[in-house]
Amino acid sequence: MILTFKINGEWVTQEIKPSLLLIDLIRDVLQLKGTKPGCLEGECGACSVIVNGDAINSCMYLAINVDGKEVTTIEGLENNENPLHQVQEKMLEHGAVQCGFCSPGMVMTTKAYSDKCIAEGITPTREEVKKSLEGNLCRCTGYAKIIDAAEAVYK
Amino acid sequence: MNFDVISPKTTPELLNAIYDNQSKNFRIGAGFTDLINQFKAQETEGLILINLAQLTEVDFKKISENEINFQIGALTTASELIDNKSIKENFPVLYQAANKLASTQIRNVATVGGNICNVSPSGDMTAALIALKATCHIIDCDGNERKELLSSFIRGLKKTSLTKKELIKNITIPKNFSKNIKSGYEKVGSRKSMEIAIVSLAYHLQMDDKGVITYAGVACGAVAPTIPFTTSACEFLTGKNINDISDSEKEEFAKRVLSYANPISDIRASDWYRKEVLFNISKTIFER
Repeated sequence: MILTFKINGEWVTQEIKPSLLLIDLIRDVLQLKGTKPGCLEGECGACSVIVNGDAINSCMYLAINVDGKEVTTIEGLENNENPLHQVQEKMLEHGAVQCGFCSPGMVMTTKAYSDKCIAEGITPTREEVKKSLEGNLCRCTGYAKIIDAAEAVYK
Repeated sequence: MNFDVISPKTTPELLNAIYDNQSKNFRIGAGFTDLINQFKAQETEGLILINLAQLTEVDFKKISENEINFQIGALTTASELIDNKSIKENFPVLYQAANKLASTQIRNVATVGGNICNVSPSGDMTAALIALKATCHIIDCDGNERKELLSSFIRGLKKTSLTKKELIKNITIPKNFSKNIKSGYEKVGSRKSMEIAIVSLAYHLQMDDKGVITYAGVACGAVAPTIPFTTSACEFLTGKNINDISDSEKEEFAKRVLSYANPISDIRASDWYRKEVLFNISKTIFER
């Protein structure tokens, strides 16, 4: 099956087997290892990537369904002027990273949510920020700092 | 996992795919948040997946309204329901149920039709739709159409009335008679996020100007093999004034809701706990 889609700003065409999962396309075929395989059943959010503006779990998403769409992974957040995205800067400032395994997923979910809030001119409450991260688990128990960092994106 | 995928773009392509594969082992999927996990746990060699995610037909996707009904396409995601202002305003029970489902990442892909067809007793959007007396609009690959009330469409644990030739196109909900509503979705679990309900209660009451209940729809989740519409509890409320319900009437209502519960004990909770919780949350809807 032939798939054409945009990954981190670049169009690619790739032949894949129909049952391939998006996470395996990203990590094994495209060799982008920043997207993390955690629980692989949609609980932990470590594999979160952005498809057409929405955060999704790439472990439960068929690769063929990104055909014609735009996928952003953690590797797609850097550019020449800014090696780190604002969400990543805030996570560093607030010490929101311990082992780092959940961080790419946390960043992608927070980015998708903050893009929507900014587009709609909304400043979310702390409760809303927490809710936006409900699909991401951190096993180093660092939630307070992660939520602080996600909230600081709006300040 | 090793299965074949057919991705129809139009309704005729979809119906042909169903027709052509009648003699084969196929599954229909849209958001895949349940199906992928099922596929990982089973042998998928020889399985054909009819993938609805690339279907472009608006009838399957849009939320619209006419004079009597709201229509929700089966492929509407939980996030799209949450973002729809009319749904939030008219049917808080459905808005809350969609918003309490799993996580953002899952809500962005999980569909209403999938939640119904997964036929879980703890299906959040399904419980809300049963309380709202939703009707499923079903099409088949021979060109037939039929309608069935969601509460009768679900026949038992993991069983629906769908034949191998059919699928749900959309769901309709009758419009409110009144602007005066009391509507919500109570979900009890061991945590707020990523939780499958231990007990849930979907309620939608409509009152006239004086507060007299003219419509009551109450359904309870995760306490029986299906999600029952609690007819006798609803009949008990109809005609009473919402501002004037005594404590003993609240208890009687809760007892009637409880009469529909036949829970099991499982990894998440005991049957005793489920009944206690259902009784208590039923009493408290009047305080909310």
